[in-house]
Amino acid sequence: MSAPSPPCCPAERPAVSVDGMERELARERTLLRRKVSVAAVLTVLVMVSSLPHMLGLHSLPLLPFWFTSPWTQLILTTPVLFWCGRDFFTGAVSAFRQHFADMNTLVAAGTGIAYLTSLFTTLFPQVLIAEGLPADVYYETVAVILTLVLLGRLLEARARGQTSEAIRRLLQLQPPSARVLRDGQPVEIPVSMVVVGDLVQVRPGEKIPVDGEASEGSSWVEESMLTGEPTPVANAAGDAVIGASMNRSGSFSFRVSRVGANTVLAQIVELVRQAQSSRTQVQRLADQVVGWFVPVVIALAIAAFVVWFLISGNPVLAMLFLVSVLVIACPCALGLATPTSIMVASGKGAENGLIFRSGEALETAGKLRTIVLDKTGTLTRGQPEVTDFERLAGGVLPADTLLALTAALESRSEHPLAEAITTYARSQLKGGALPALEGFEAVAGRGVQGVVAGQQVRVGTPRWFEELGIDTAALQPLVERLEAAACSVAAVVVDGRIEACFGVADPLKSSSAAAVAALRRLGLQVVMLSGDAKRTAEVVAAQVGIERVIAEVRPADKASVIRKLQEQGEGPVAMVGDGINDAPALAQADVGIAMGTGTDVAIAASDITLISGNLAGVPAAIELSRAAMANIRQNLFFAFAYNVAGIPIAAGLLFPFTGWLLSPMIAGAAMAFSSVSVVSNALRLRNFRPAHLPLPTT
Amino acid sequence: MLILAAAAPLWRTIDQPLALKGLVAMVGLLLIAWQLWWFLGRQGGGVAARQSEAGLQEITIVVDGGYAPSRIKVKAGQPMRLAFHRVDPSSCLAQVIFPDFHKSLDLPLEATTSLELPPTKAGVYPFHCGMNMVRGVLEVE
Repeated sequence: MSAPSPPCCPAERPAVSVDGMERELARERTLLRRKVSVAAVLTVLVMVSSLPHMLGLHSLPLLPFWFTSPWTQLILTTPVLFWCGRDFFTGAVSAFRQHFADMNTLVAAGTGIAYLTSLFTTLFPQVLIAEGLPADVYYETVAVILTLVLLGRLLEARARGQTSEAIRRLLQLQPPSARVLRDGQPVEIPVSMVVVGDLVQVRPGEKIPVDGEASEGSSWVEESMLTGEPTPVANAAGDAVIGASMNRSGSFSFRVSRVGANTVLAQIVELVRQAQSSRTQVQRLADQVVGWFVPVVIALAIAAFVVWFLISGNPVLAMLFLVSVLVIACPCALGLATPTSIMVASGKGAENGLIFRSGEALETAGKLRTIVLDKTGTLTRGQPEVTDFERLAGGVLPADTLLALTAALESRSEHPLAEAITTYARSQLKGGALPALEGFEAVAGRGVQGVVAGQQVRVGTPRWFEELGIDTAALQPLVERLEAAACSVAAVVVDGRIEACFGVADPLKSSSAAAVAALRRLGLQVVMLSGDAKRTAEVVAAQVGIERVIAEVRPADKASVIRKLQEQGEGPVAMVGDGINDAPALAQADVGIAMGTGTDVAIAASDITLISGNLAGVPAAIELSRAAMANIRQNLFFAFAYNVAGIPIAAGLLFPFTGWLLSPMIAGAAMAFSSVSVVSNALRLRNFRPAHLPLPTT
Repeated sequence: MLILAAAAPLWRTIDQPLALKGLVAMVGLLLIAWQLWWFLGRQGGGVAARQSEAGLQEITIVVDGGYAPSRIKVKAGQPMRLAFHRVDPSSCLAQVIFPDFHKSLDLPLEATTSLELPPTKAGVYPFHCGMNMVRGVLEVE
């Protein structure tokens, strides 16, 4: 949806690549923990050392005089600044060279100024005393701020590690090795060495290593970790198996069809990564603010110094305001507010088989007003079955001949109805060769035609035959009866004569009615889109509780139906579909939702993919989106409010009215914990549980 | 300690000579103006990517406290390869994100990691670190 939309190219990235990064982050956390411990010990000592001064006393019992000397504090603070806090300074300097200011700049400037002032006082106390000022030092302030900010960083690093947990968990789903038949012998090899075409054996309780097609044996396979669907699915020869799913019972072997970056698991990981690297509209505002933030804060800090110096003439007091403003400002909270929530939410979605392609998809899904459900494959199973085969009064051909002619023609078509009819006809004919077919032609949305055994045969909708000027009067009562039973009708015309008709019904998915009800409870207008005759479509719609039906829509017109809804102001509109012919409509919709059981084309054109074919994922995705957006709004509000309130207080704006002066130490603590709060709030999304999806409990 | 306790000795007004007050105000204002210019002013026009033989536009970006260069110019309609060399140990810079391309790239320390981007329409595409603090801009013209 954003400007350039490059094709998904998972091949550029190895399937599993986080290990090195993980190690680096873990190493950094260890170092950070050590620095926090050292800084904490030294800081406590500095604070004890500065106690007499803080309490306004000259000395305290039990504390030797040398221990409370500024020189002792200088010695204790210096390692905190130059070892524990070293990264703030090196970071600030290299950022400065790039004309760039960030958190490091603020912390380094704040603590650096307090340290240098204290150093000056320690070396030349007489200068201040001559001015009538106390020769106070602020080493404890420097040490406390650095320790707190380091501690904040440590907590934040930990919490941020958890935000990418979902991807890590997904990657861990893949077993490390596979049992492959090589030269007829089973060999255990690393998954990375499995190639397409290999025959892999899977025993009960083992994970399926890569994608493939079952070739031998049968079992029950649990795909919940990928699809969110709790019930295991039956698996027999010819069925597709997905890598990383769990083989519950029975042994079987399968032929490998996809490995490495092409597996479903790798593609899910890639999609989640893509979503986590995208941004939302709401983030743009925060982004703009972040760009200006630090220089503006530095300007405010200098202004605070100047104003307080002009008011009081007291440089030490003015310096404390300067330091407070520098260290209280937290651009991190602003920058982190949106990405962390998106990270956690898209990870949570992946856990439940809901794959968001981008932050924008996550954002728009919650604002949807209209949701258009494609009938076939979305509400229904998408595997139609012939329920009726009727010969008509005017027909002359025997049933077997008709079935053979029809099967010969329909076996060339890829339409789901054609498949159902072919299957039915073959089962009735019980084998035998089909007559030869010449000049096959599919007429989109109408039917197919061709010459079979010298006769012109057409199979298609009654409407098509009306258009062709064929007398369909004999068909009408049958059509009415079949359509009232939610069957699609395909008529057979041989040499311009109506011979027979098929009633084909596509059974509803068990989850459809509940999902539609859930969508309505979420306040959405639900529309059913179908290529079927109006009556058939209305019967199906009534069964699942949908009132608005747009029927007799040809595949090519689906996108324009969506456009019309958008133009009528019923948007944002979502389209849920699964077939190749849904792809334009999925792309046209504000949010395209593809059922994962559908085609790759549909998934590529969609904004959200439901890995399972369960329609209950749609309300769940909308709920997750709403929860995520609420979370982002809370984060942004908190981050803005914190800075907008904190900076003026630190600048001493309240002092004339309340006499409040914010200690720079408190400012440092507030800063450290504001970004931790933002990340922690985002992590609350991990507890999200959609009200409308039968989720696995893991 | 919560609210600055030592208000009594610290909170002391000192009569400073007017000249000193004026000087502090002036230096302060100059400092504000200079740092705003330094950080926010447009520094240089960006660095253009070089053209390789294969029609690929290539540029190496050093990650050290920021992105050097942070403003990268490339031509529209040609694929590009951006090589990030990370020398800064801060974990904040361990990831670079191109939100408009839905791409993120992990940058191991002391190593060069490349990102290939498809040909793109003219426009300004920002990129930033994992925490959205350090930023750069890809200018496609």
